[in-house]
Amino acid sequence: MKKYLVNLALMICISYTMVSVTAAIINSLTGGQTNNRNEMIMFITCIIASVVLSLHGLFDNISPLAMMVIQYLVACVLVAVFILIVSRFDEVTPRGWFEFYRSFTIPYIILAGVYYYSVFADTRKKADIIRELQERSK
Amino acid sequence: MKLNLFEDKNTINEHVDVYYSNMRPQIKQIIDIVNSERLSLSGRPADDDLDEGEEILIDPKEVYYLDYVDRKLFIYTGSGVYRIMKTLAECEELLWNYGFVRVSKSNLINIYKIKQLKPDLNMKVYAYFDNGERICVNRSYKKGFDEYLQRMRKMA
Repeated sequence: MKKYLVNLALMICISYTMVSVTAAIINSLTGGQTNNRNEMIMFITCIIASVVLSLHGLFDNISPLAMMVIQYLVACVLVAVFILIVSRFDEVTPRGWFEFYRSFTIPYIILAGVYYYSVFADTRKKADIIRELQERSK
Repeated sequence: MKLNLFEDKNTINEHVDVYYSNMRPQIKQIIDIVNSERLSLSGRPADDDLDEGEEILIDPKEVYYLDYVDRKLFIYTGSGVYRIMKTLAECEELLWNYGFVRVSKSNLINIYKIKQLKPDLNMKVYAYFDNGERICVNRSYKKGFDEYLQRMRKMA
């Protein structure tokens, strides 16, 4: 459990740094600005994503595709809870909900595609090694 | 590998000298044979009763995979299915040298019998064998599978 929490903390730190630096670069290029609330939203989003992705061990017996769909749905629920909490303190427009989900979904789909490709590439590499070993043993 | 055989009717102490560059699985297998410890698994046909069936020696090279079902361990070969009285962990330790690697909680597969390794559309990776059967390579055993292939590659 301790190891899991340490890894989770590490994942949160890395993902938040990446998101924060990317946002800073985009802002400096486009002249945009950020504020404390945005930083907190980015941080909490990183926590939600890290927690959901770290649960992959629970889905070992089902297909990776089903795992990704389930993880996405869990993430959607957690995001909805988060936006509901935020809406208690500040007004969240329907557009705000849409934007939040969009900014969560696009990177998720891109990363899922990358993972999908990596599974195929990795399997091809392993198949080549097996073929090589079979040739050598003849 | 070059093989030299010398027949000498007067030899009292028969012996075998093995010159090798690195201790790879094939060399280990030769050593096992010389030491009369050639590994063979004994099992009974899966459909026979344990007390009645004739025990058969199975060459590991003929085995496609091992499957642990309902606390029983079965060996799948080209000629049939046999039940053996060992645990999967014991077999894993005994057979690693012969190309056997653990790919799930209940399966040990022979990499030399794999015809094809490919992922399904749902991203599960399967090992396909000559006999038309397939075994899923579980994600939690992926790291061990990778390490095993790399180790065998270095030793080969």
